[in-house]
Amino acid sequence: MTEKHLSSQFDNELAQLSSNLLAMGGLVEAQLRQALAALTHQSGEFAEAVLTDELRVNAMEIAIDDELTRIIARRQPAAVDLRLLLSIARVTGNLERAGDEAAKIARMVRSIVNAGAVSLPLADLRLGCDLAAGLIAKSLDAFARLDTIAAFSTLKGDADVDREFDGFVRKLITYMMEDPRTITQSLDLLFIAKAIERIGDHAKNIAECVIYVVKGADVRHRSLAETEAEIVGAMDSETGEP
Amino acid sequence: MNAILILLFVLLAGAVALLIINRQRARRFVHWIADPTASAMPDPAGDWGRAAASTRRALSRGEAQVKESAARLERLMTALDALPDGIVLLHREGRILFCNAVAAAHFGLDAERDQGQHIIHLVRDPLFVTWFSWYGEPRPPLEMPGHANASGQPVQLLVQRQAYGADRILLLSADVTAQRRTDAMRRDFVANVSHDIRTPLTVLAGFIETLQNLDLSGDEKARYLGLMAQQTTRMQALVGDLLMLSRLEGSPLPGKGERVDLREVTAHCAAEAFALSTRLYGEEAQHLHIETAVDFDFAGAASEIRSAMSNLLANAVRYSGAKGCITARWSRDSEGNACFEVTDNGPGIAAEHLPRLTERFYRVDKSRTRQNDDGGTGLGLSITKHVVERHGGKLQIVSTPGQGSRFALVLARTRVLERG
Repeated sequence: MTEKHLSSQFDNELAQLSSNLLAMGGLVEAQLRQALAALTHQSGEFAEAVLTDELRVNAMEIAIDDELTRIIARRQPAAVDLRLLLSIARVTGNLERAGDEAAKIARMVRSIVNAGAVSLPLADLRLGCDLAAGLIAKSLDAFARLDTIAAFSTLKGDADVDREFDGFVRKLITYMMEDPRTITQSLDLLFIAKAIERIGDHAKNIAECVIYVVKGADVRHRSLAETEAEIVGAMDSETGEP
Repeated sequence: MNAILILLFVLLAGAVALLIINRQRARRFVHWIADPTASAMPDPAGDWGRAAASTRRALSRGEAQVKESAARLERLMTALDALPDGIVLLHREGRILFCNAVAAAHFGLDAERDQGQHIIHLVRDPLFVTWFSWYGEPRPPLEMPGHANASGQPVQLLVQRQAYGADRILLLSADVTAQRRTDAMRRDFVANVSHDIRTPLTVLAGFIETLQNLDLSGDEKARYLGLMAQQTTRMQALVGDLLMLSRLEGSPLPGKGERVDLREVTAHCAAEAFALSTRLYGEEAQHLHIETAVDFDFAGAASEIRSAMSNLLANAVRYSGAKGCITARWSRDSEGNACFEVTDNGPGIAAEHLPRLTERFYRVDKSRTRQNDDGGTGLGLSITKHVVERHGGKLQIVSTPGQGSRFALVLARTRVLERG
């Protein structure tokens, strides 16, 4: 984002678009924080805040998409600019979906809280939610800094969220076997856990976009080792070291 | 004719020789200027020598100035990094020019790498973005959550923005976490304390007025005085607990030097619990089984441990009623931590109250102490939790409504002392 173009107007447009994208990211991060607070305090108030922000996130997604279409049509970008614009489109989509998942969590928490006392380990979801929200923040930082190392560590971090999800599901199963009356509520919790796991995946997708912008390498659906080779290999060829 | 040609030739040769010599000197001069240590100085008497000397002087003056301003800048940077508050210098549109280490920690920035980055790309909290992009004046300071600190605790920041120079912005950030926590605590605290102290005072004032105005019989007087004594005892207990809490908060962590004789402390607490049970429900009404045999000791503050244990026992006695059955004992868990557990068969506590039990003055049943007047201050579990955490442990509470509760002090194994 720092390289100069002949048209400084184009630079400004790109910078403005990145700013809007990251502002949208900030809003989604705030949603995730509130979803986490709703889980922690089992409070409907925080849940409402998540749902209110949801509308703003949606509006921002549309505004960014419009701007993107306009820039691509007018500037017909190539190389790194094209990759950046494509990535912005992908990141926007992923952020919007992460926001949706946060709203899903908020709605579930609200209905669980309204239904009365919670006899199931709702608070156990906090760790996973915290991890996933941290990953989103980290991936957006990586995007702002175009930092492939941080992006790669986000990819690795997603595995922790998945592990947390698997652990929680195993735990829920024990509750359901012990007392079938808890099954209905367990299913609600399962949806929350799944939403958290999906947020981790969206963070991963954003991180992959960072690698795509910087290295031009599409690392989607690649193993971690392959991705690492891609990042390191590209770095070696840049510095000219073997 | 020939002579003139020869003369011209000699002159030409001389001029060429002079040129070559001059050129060599010039080259030496250039070499010497570039690196005075590597080559000899040009002849100081010649023109080149004088030029060299004066250039050298001018250069070294310049070098000294550069060195001095670099040193001054270095000192300034060190001072900025040593400030307790965060400082970020920004370009007008928000690109980071400089940030000190504190600001980097507050906002989650990288002081080196993030220069030139737009601050709202990295500090994306919508609160901050809106505040920062707002063009109106005056701009009130912003209070916002900061980047979690090194131990992962949330941080509250107070951020101020100040324009300076022609097109620069100064952001100042101060960590107000502790301040805000104290504020909130003080508010709740004042509300609760004033309520809990005013109630007995109102009762006392009423009795005093009665005693002053009415001519009472000896029996009535004795009864009133008894009630007044009860109220003052309650206030004393409350003030005592308040002082204990403030001591716990204000004092340094207990050292590992003091050996707490757990047998003695447990025996003392057991005696207290028996006395309280007798006072509330009469002799032998409750069943108390308190094992005073402990085969290890503990390093910590004896008075604190005693207070934590007696609070748990007193709660069990108070809340399990006249048919209560209470067991208490010390044990070691699988990891070697010391564990003092108190189990009762009382009414139990509903799950929604459990996370808030250790808050000051939190009551599961708001009407309870007023009607029973059993001497509980509402601070017991806060004190217990404080004590346990100060000793590197935790307070575990398990409760099933209708079946009873289990409160356990789990104390770090690093403080457990085997009895030799």
